[in-house]
Amino acid sequence: MLLKLLQLSVRNILRQRRRNGLMLAAILVAVAAVVVMSSLIRGMQEDLAETAVAGLLGHVKVLAPGYRDDPGIQRSFALAEDWMSLVGAGAVAGWAARVRVPAVIMSERGTRGVQFVGVDPAQEGISFLDDAEVVGEPLRDGGDGRILIGRALAEQLETKLGRRLVIITQGADGLSREAGFRIAGLYEAQGEGLEKAFAFTGVDALQRMLGTPAFTELSIRLHEEPAAALVKERLAAHRADLEVLDWRELAPQAAAMFLFADAAVFIWFLIMMGALVFGLVNTLVTSVMERVRELGMLRALGMRPGSVVLQVILEAGLLMLMGVAVGVALGGAVVYWLADGIDLSLWAEGVETYGMSPVLRPVALAEDVLLIVALSLSLGVVASLYPARRAVKVKLLDALGR
Amino acid sequence: MPADVTASLDAAQPPALGTAQGDAAKLGLAAAVAWRNLWRNRRRTWLAVGGVAFATALVQFSMSLQLGGYAAQIEAATDFFVGHAQIQRSDYLEQARIEQTLVGVTALVRSLEARPDVLAVAPRVEAFALASVDERSFGVQVLGMDAARERRTVGFLRRIAEGRMAAAADEVVLGSALARNLGAGLGDELVVLGAGKEGGVAALAASVSGIFDSGILELDRSLMLAPIDAVQSAFGLGDEAHSLVLRSTDPLAGAELVRSLNAELPLGAKARNWDAVLPDLHQGIELDRLSSVFLYAIIILVVTFSVVNTFIMTVFERTREFGLLRAIGMRPGALIGMVQLEALCIWLLGVGLAFALMVPVIGWLSSYGLYLGEELSQVGSNLFLPDRIHPRLGWAVSLTAPAIMLGGVQLAALAPALRIRRLQPVAALRAQE
Repeated sequence: MLLKLLQLSVRNILRQRRRNGLMLAAILVAVAAVVVMSSLIRGMQEDLAETAVAGLLGHVKVLAPGYRDDPGIQRSFALAEDWMSLVGAGAVAGWAARVRVPAVIMSERGTRGVQFVGVDPAQEGISFLDDAEVVGEPLRDGGDGRILIGRALAEQLETKLGRRLVIITQGADGLSREAGFRIAGLYEAQGEGLEKAFAFTGVDALQRMLGTPAFTELSIRLHEEPAAALVKERLAAHRADLEVLDWRELAPQAAAMFLFADAAVFIWFLIMMGALVFGLVNTLVTSVMERVRELGMLRALGMRPGSVVLQVILEAGLLMLMGVAVGVALGGAVVYWLADGIDLSLWAEGVETYGMSPVLRPVALAEDVLLIVALSLSLGVVASLYPARRAVKVKLLDALGR
Repeated sequence: MPADVTASLDAAQPPALGTAQGDAAKLGLAAAVAWRNLWRNRRRTWLAVGGVAFATALVQFSMSLQLGGYAAQIEAATDFFVGHAQIQRSDYLEQARIEQTLVGVTALVRSLEARPDVLAVAPRVEAFALASVDERSFGVQVLGMDAARERRTVGFLRRIAEGRMAAAADEVVLGSALARNLGAGLGDELVVLGAGKEGGVAALAASVSGIFDSGILELDRSLMLAPIDAVQSAFGLGDEAHSLVLRSTDPLAGAELVRSLNAELPLGAKARNWDAVLPDLHQGIELDRLSSVFLYAIIILVVTFSVVNTFIMTVFERTREFGLLRAIGMRPGALIGMVQLEALCIWLLGVGLAFALMVPVIGWLSSYGLYLGEELSQVGSNLFLPDRIHPRLGWAVSLTAPAIMLGGVQLAALAPALRIRRLQPVAALRAQE
């Protein structure tokens, strides 16, 4: 029975190729546009998170209480040997213990304020530092007493490779410390903001200068972001005296943009389907009204009203299914074509303010596509309800008498 | 029969009248017929009208939000700190060294203030220094300001949350995070050390007269305000400044102002509009504009498809009727014209409906504002977006979507209507209704 109705629906669609072809074109344009847009939005979302996480945040970060308001070496902590086992080493992709203090950096020609960060280069696979291009040499190890600064900062300070810079900052005892550092290399980061903000040296060298073996932050990068909540919970239970934060708390702006992107996918979908629904209802009602005589005949021969309704719904569903299938394929093709990313470097500074990199790569998520398919099909069914009602309301004698 | 029809057509358009009047009468008749044709299938017409109205209203609404949002964003960002336009030495923009100053500032400011298109001008001196309280030291950006002029130009001094703007030469205002980091409160003494213009040591001992809280962490953490003459003398500067910040009468005409300023300014000085001072804001707006153009194009395309469909159905169903009209002498051009008129009527209804919906909504929201929700307004505050957006109507906002939709609807009707030219009256008359 259902098979017969399906057959009937297919034939009805094929009877009006031009009209249904146009309807299909409209559906596929709308669906393809939603697929492309949603994958661009997801790409932006992923990029926001990645840029935030790679910018020294990590997925989870441990800080001493008060450090965020008043950063300095006084707000530091010692790292327990066994902290990894408490967290569950399986979830952790990498971690870095750093010392980060505000400092004044001086060359012969200029003075600037920076965040002076002591790192162990072996641990920095988790941050942008690992794949930043370096002119000169990167830092060798945690004991490296040279300094690595951003290219933009070097320009501001009018200094170059091999020169000495003076760093002034506060030591663990609260007294000012002043020390000279030779420039090992100049790094290039995505965006001048990072290049101007951070200067790096070996963590042991910085600890020696500040007179403490303690760290100010522990950044943890996870294999999967969703594990952050659990890791955070375990760490917090382990070290109640410290602040354990995830990247969303540390970069609230990026996190809010991230949430907004979820809504944007939905809004796009609703708008497209809103534009589509007028044409869809129109096509279906016309298809029903053209067949008034036919429907009357079928009813007279014993087809039940329920079957008539089902047939119209099937017809709408089939039309939608074809449009969605081709639309998803077309959208997928466009996403594939854009896979190398869209170059937004013309708007690089604007993009940077939003916390994104200048190349936007689309990311197609299976659940988004499934959502689009499911919602489109339900929209097809909803749009067919009114035409279906019209089809059932056909009076037998009137219909046959036409 | 055909004679009767011809006679009645003749009666409707008396040939004795002047051609202009005759044409008008013909058009009137054609419009009346087209209008009646629309109502032969009310449901279909309303659905097509609905599609046109939906697309038009949506694009109008979203463009009005953009217009209002951008304007508010630009106003908030420029009023906050950077002003509508700035003047610096062009080499200062690249290097920002203390000796790269504009000279003869007092006279320059006066002459700029005399211009009719400039409301206010504020000179600023910028220097980098080390600020210390007891043993604590932090790098700070020292900003020498002329408080009275500054207040007329931008709203930054309203951000002073505690105390007041520095008035005497030995007073400074600190950013809230800087004050906390230094452990300094109102009235506390601090020492500022930097390098002066000639390379000598610049020193300033001052007390904290106020603390500002701008909401921008970078400024709160690093900025110190002081009276401009105090900073000038401490850093070995004369009647010099690094930047002049301007408030203009019309921020949207900034490009004009900047062009005319650049023609008059002394050599080496360069005026920049806000979009050059804040490239990130400008580019963010451009990017947003561009991505929404994509959205608009798709919506209009999808709706146009469904209008094409409507007209395919219309033309197809009326094959017999068109055959008859052809048989009694109506030319294909006139038939196509009639279908075009029907399309025009659908457009008029759709756009009329869109205006009827949108004008009150936008009008109401433009005074009340559209609330963005807590999360978005948090993002917004860093991007200078107010938490309520007041959409704005303008000619471009109201008419862009209708104009594009008009083209779409007429084209949509033209595609199927062209079939009429190939219509064989005899075959058409035999066609099934």
